Amino acid sequence: MSDPDVDPTGLIHEEEVWVEEVHAARRSSRLPRLLVLALIAAVVLAIPQVVDVVYINVVSRAAIYGIIAVSMNVLVGYAGQASLGHAAFLGVGAFASGYALTDLGMPFGAALVVAALVGMAAALVLGGVALRVSGLYLALVTIAFGLFAQETLFNIRFLTGGGAGQTAPRPELFSGPVAYAYLCIGVLGLVLLFDWRLTATRAGRAIQALRDDERVAASWGIDVTAHKLMAFIISGGIAGIAGGLFASIEQIVSKEDFGLSLSITFLLMTVVGGAGNRWGVVQGGVLFAVLPTLLDRTHENFHVFPFTELTATWEPAIGAILLLLTLTMFPGGIAQQQGALLSWLGGGPFKRDPDAHTPAQGGGMGARP
Amino acid sequence: METWIEVLVFGLQRGAIFGLVGLGLALVYKATRILNFAQGELGTVPAFTALLVMTGFETVGDKAVDRGMLIPAIVTAIAVGAVLGILLYVVVIRPLGKVSPVTSLVATAGVALLLTTIELNVFEARARRFPRPVNGGFDLPGTDIIVDWHTIVILAVLAGVALALAAFFRSAPGVALLATAEDPFAAELQGVPVERMRAMAWGAAGALGALAGILGAGVFESLTPGLVTSTFMIPAFTGVVLGGITSMVGAVVGGFALGIVSQAAIQIVTTYELDVPGPPQLAVLVVLLAVLLVRPQGLLGKSA
Repeated sequence: MSDPDVDPTGLIHEEEVWVEEVHAARRSSRLPRLLVLALIAAVVLAIPQVVDVVYINVVSRAAIYGIIAVSMNVLVGYAGQASLGHAAFLGVGAFASGYALTDLGMPFGAALVVAALVGMAAALVLGGVALRVSGLYLALVTIAFGLFAQETLFNIRFLTGGGAGQTAPRPELFSGPVAYAYLCIGVLGLVLLFDWRLTATRAGRAIQALRDDERVAASWGIDVTAHKLMAFIISGGIAGIAGGLFASIEQIVSKEDFGLSLSITFLLMTVVGGAGNRWGVVQGGVLFAVLPTLLDRTHENFHVFPFTELTATWEPAIGAILLLLTLTMFPGGIAQQQGALLSWLGGGPFKRDPDAHTPAQGGGMGARP
Repeated sequence: METWIEVLVFGLQRGAIFGLVGLGLALVYKATRILNFAQGELGTVPAFTALLVMTGFETVGDKAVDRGMLIPAIVTAIAVGAVLGILLYVVVIRPLGKVSPVTSLVATAGVALLLTTIELNVFEARARRFPRPVNGGFDLPGTDIIVDWHTIVILAVLAGVALALAAFFRSAPGVALLATAEDPFAAELQGVPVERMRAMAWGAAGALGALAGILGAGVFESLTPGLVTSTFMIPAFTGVVLGGITSMVGAVVGGFALGIVSQAAIQIVTTYELDVPGPPQLAVLVVLLAVLLVRPQGLLGKSA
């Protein structure tokens, strides 16, 4: 243990200096930081007001994709697992909420709780079986679950209305499209708050330890299977809530809304956003939610080469290319590229952590050996 | 009784396609420890290429296929599949470097989405008529069941592929591939060109995918973008897990098992007039969960 190059006292001293530097940085930049944060919040809150009414549902969708991204992030970013069937969890939540609203006459808030519980239950069953083996099997089970949900579950007529779809009215207080967009943004805020507190808990930290190395985590006394399952259940619950909100955008959902390619899109936006970083993945979600509309608008308005060929039908291809570029060049995704900014906003210095392995800096998909 | 023989016949037909897709999945997993979600599109893209060759390179029209071009079309499709498989390895998988199996699965899922989107944009989201190499069928002796010649063709192709693979794994390059799968470092020390072996495995998986794509589209006599991914790949995945994920024999056995189970599920729901939609998909999920609960290493696998 007596390594000549490592002087224990020296290490502690360096640590103290570093901690002091961070504290100093925090004190000095508190005001500008708060101003920038307030500005970002103001811009987000102003969006539903300034967006053309034709596109207001895209804003709701963007907020919901943000929630889904947080849900995926708990699984992909924190626990290092992948789901290729998250559209099914969204669908389960959407149909559960629709059924609770329309057939049971429940209030909207209660319907969202039902949606979350149903999502958690589905995750419990699938994860309970799959997570005893390796992470690859969870991905497989979620794929099979996605297909089963689309062909079997969402075709059960009395629950989902079969091919006709299930109605899901908006709550009275948020029945207008602008008000509903605010509701979605508000729920996104709450989900982010929950996610932030989650990562501060013992269990949340244990889940994140799994991503870096399961064996090391186990040697610290972390119950690997239990924490993976917990991450999956939390992810399923958040996806269920997103589904409940999703159902009431158009106030009707049908099984066609939850295909395999949507599941893949959810995975792409999480990785492109920067798995492990909640701000990154939310941006990824928003990007993928508005990308089809954006492509349609540029196609209509710019009559120069790439835009004349690119319509919304190419959106998944662009997403896939972004994914491959992210994985090979920027494993930390959008969050890695904004590393310095996100670090500063979080109270640290304005520079990217060179050792970008911590969740705050976007460990990303590539962080794991 | 006769309905159950029919279940068996159709089960073997679907199962053989699952087996072909599964062989590609197992081969790639064996060689590079990657579960290739794009394996299905390594079938659909070559099938569309075959269609292009047979229709004189018409992408959107409804021009009848020229059956005289069948052989060149199949050869082109297999070549396209092999090249696509190698490209996938060289352009996407290798630059990823050493990442977790989950990350590489995500990357291949992205590739699958990319290829499906290209198909959708080039060929439009609709079904195109797709020919079978051999039309018609014959009466199964002693029954009223007509067996398609296409089913026999699929089974014959699968048998041929299985024999070729068995012979390959006994040859020097086959042993080198097995060594690569077992321990890449030790294999490299023994002078095995590890990278080339891996690329070869991906290329072979692409060729297998092409066969599955052509014969699979022939089963329905129609081809839609993303066909192999949406209809054959998930049962094939499950078949591979059932068989033991690295076992080639297991992939075929698992494929047949899934084919028969899926067809039996449809028959049970029809016979007993149950109100259960999507019986094959339900059966696939149940089998997958059951395997993971009871025998996660699969029937013929060594360890999970």
